Amino acid sequence: MTALTNFYTGYKRELRWLLIVGGLVLALLLLQPLLVDKKVSRMMMTTVTGLLVGGVYALIALGIVIINKASGVFNFAHGLMMLFGAMLFYSFFSVAQVNPLAAGALVLATALMVLTMGGRDSLRNPRNLALAAVAVVVLTALLSVQISGFQLIRAVIGGLVGAVLIGLCVERFAIRPLIGQPLFASVLMTLAVSEIMLGLTQMTWGSVEIPLQIFAGLNSLGIPTPIRFEDVIDGNITIRTELVITFILALVAFGAFVAFFRYTSVGLAMRATAENQELARSVGLRVRFILAIAWGIAALLAMVGGVLQGGATSLSLNMPALALRAFPAVLLGGLESIGGALVGGLIIGLVQEWANFLFPGTQAGTELAPYVVLMLVLVVRPDGLFGEKRIERI
Amino acid sequence: MRKIALALALTLLLSITLLPARAQLPDFIQHTDCEVDLTGETITIYHFGDISGSFAFITQPLLAGLADAIAFYNANGGICGATIATDNRDTGGDPAQTQAHYDYYSTLDPKPDVMVLYASADAELLRTQVEEDQIPVIISAGSVEGLYGEDGRTPGWIYATNPLYGDQIGSFCDFVAADPMDMYADEPVIGYISWPGAFGQAAFTPETIAYCAEQGVTILETPEIFLPTDTDISGQVLNLTDAGANILYTNTLASGPFLVAKTVVDLGLEDDVRLAGVNWALDTSVGLLSRTSIGSDGLPAVNGIVGSLPFQWWSEVNQPGVQFITEQADANARELPTRNIAYILGFTLVDFYTELYIQTVNRVGSLDAVDGAAIKETMDNIDYSPLGMYNISFAGGELRAVTENRIAMMGFANADMSGLATSGDDALKIPRDDGTNIYVPVLVPLTDFAPAPDLRPGGE
Repeated sequence: MTALTNFYTGYKRELRWLLIVGGLVLALLLLQPLLVDKKVSRMMMTTVTGLLVGGVYALIALGIVIINKASGVFNFAHGLMMLFGAMLFYSFFSVAQVNPLAAGALVLATALMVLTMGGRDSLRNPRNLALAAVAVVVLTALLSVQISGFQLIRAVIGGLVGAVLIGLCVERFAIRPLIGQPLFASVLMTLAVSEIMLGLTQMTWGSVEIPLQIFAGLNSLGIPTPIRFEDVIDGNITIRTELVITFILALVAFGAFVAFFRYTSVGLAMRATAENQELARSVGLRVRFILAIAWGIAALLAMVGGVLQGGATSLSLNMPALALRAFPAVLLGGLESIGGALVGGLIIGLVQEWANFLFPGTQAGTELAPYVVLMLVLVVRPDGLFGEKRIERI
Repeated sequence: MRKIALALALTLLLSITLLPARAQLPDFIQHTDCEVDLTGETITIYHFGDISGSFAFITQPLLAGLADAIAFYNANGGICGATIATDNRDTGGDPAQTQAHYDYYSTLDPKPDVMVLYASADAELLRTQVEEDQIPVIISAGSVEGLYGEDGRTPGWIYATNPLYGDQIGSFCDFVAADPMDMYADEPVIGYISWPGAFGQAAFTPETIAYCAEQGVTILETPEIFLPTDTDISGQVLNLTDAGANILYTNTLASGPFLVAKTVVDLGLEDDVRLAGVNWALDTSVGLLSRTSIGSDGLPAVNGIVGSLPFQWWSEVNQPGVQFITEQADANARELPTRNIAYILGFTLVDFYTELYIQTVNRVGSLDAVDGAAIKETMDNIDYSPLGMYNISFAGGELRAVTENRIAMMGFANADMSGLATSGDDALKIPRDDGTNIYVPVLVPLTDFAPAPDLRPGGE
């Protein structure tokens, strides 16, 4: 018995990997009969589509991870932030001309929130005020300009400005007052924020689904929609261009944030703040500033995800439910891991599409397979694939 | 002489004041005459449904239709003088909220005489409870289980003003079998693709599969399921076409039929499969959403979708009810997205309520004597056509859903509004501020109204 225990202790890591590899081989052997009459082209298409859909999940997961990384809070309002940001984008996209006063008010409010991220002292700095004034004038002019074909650029600018305002407002008025309180209070606060945003969305834009025609111009740019590959081995492969664009944007975002967290002082400070806000404050880190940045970034990502999803389908009150489906990706990758969000999203997308492919007529793809994979991974690695292992001292 | 004139004037004044109020409605609306004056009373339409979730596209225009109709009827005498009011509550699609709202309504004193619901799942949840509490419920359309219980043969207290979803797919199979327009393959095979849940799966039953098979139309035994939040459903569509489907039938609404149609276009399957769906699939919302996905013919992807149209539609402009509702929508500046299926149902619901209460009050003698049982008795025996838009009859209490149905197709108006566009070149395009165009969806009836097959368990 002792020998067995010693063997296990000595080869614990190897045994675990053996178990994982064995499980995968067994799963493949079990699934093999299901693949017998399947076309290779369908398998290839399923794989590519799975990865691309996974890109959408990854983009959503990234926003959730950033908040968690900075503050330890699991943000249940992310789905509504997606919808709200996308609706703001739509508001700038769908009108011929934006009221300059409204545009100015939006930009001014955002500038004030940005200026006061770390406290009101910034308002006494003439350089900051001058920069803010220039930004307000330039952005207001850009949002108010009426040029044919400029809607998309205007909507991007308006969406970004609006999303930053949303993120900063949530942080300032809902999360910041809870600094130093148990994390659970902040998590509950995100639920409250979610409900408030739902109400505001309904009051402002109603509940009827809205088509968002952002991909309409792709053909005129020479980009095919969708992308088709004829006669690949034993059939055609079709890939939706919207998903490819989403995937590319997700990769770009990931690259940027990995660099941000690895090479910038703010990124490092965010990680420290997530560990212990009180301790971070005691060593001189500007916790409020860091939290504000994290919420601003998360809101930006949410807006981008919402716009891309809205363009691929439509803008509807169902959209927040998509964020719920990204939760397994977050947990799978690890709550604090940027790379984990990407890998988790891709795995969930792949598993979902392959389950739909192998088990037609069931909800295995959306309701079962991602959660089975999540459960199996968490059994082997409780902190997720790339999560930080926490050691609690008793 | 002066005294006589004074007496006449007083008599006239008194008669105007005291006689039962009479509605000044258009001539084509033929309500039963009021025998009891209800002036000073209030009759409330209790409605709770998914105002903020997946069904919001229905409930929002429905609320608009209710509001416009109530304003009009109240301005024209109400229900025998009684003012019509509404009490709307949002469930958000959450069964727990449905139960909570029902608990609230059912414990009111006095409890509602009748209520309005939407979701099939809500009907299934509350079927037993409304029966115990003796509160009849009006629902647009429902599942067999919600209206007839698990055995499919026990009429409850919930009444649907559209044919059962199973019966609707039966009508569609009749149409495919007859194929009067030579639209379908020689061996039509339906792939069922829908949302999960009571509504989405309501038309996929052993009875519908067997009935369609008898008509020579195969329904694949493996349906595909997707969620309203799905980004891509190409896998589900390909599963069905790989299995031989040449028709895709969906029991979804708003983005559901649109996503199916978009996927068919994206996969280049337009020549291989035809689209079909439940009555909600043939709606303005579906046509408008579809403008983001244009098919090879230059028209929105849902062009040509076929399905049930169990009532008159906006484009049937010779029908007085359609003219009247259009006038009301114009008067209230309702925009195109609001002029959908739900606005019609909301408006006609108020007209139906009016007739329902007139008949019930006439029979029981006063509004105080009206209760759920009295309303149910009227419902069982009523035979009425709200604004002439569709006929409501429950066959003396034997049925819980209307049976008259017809099949229609969605197309898009051509540039001079004289008919359907044949391609993007001759389509009516309304330019939008964002540089895109709106295509105007039009529904074209392909058959006359006829009873849908009874496809409840044990039905024929």
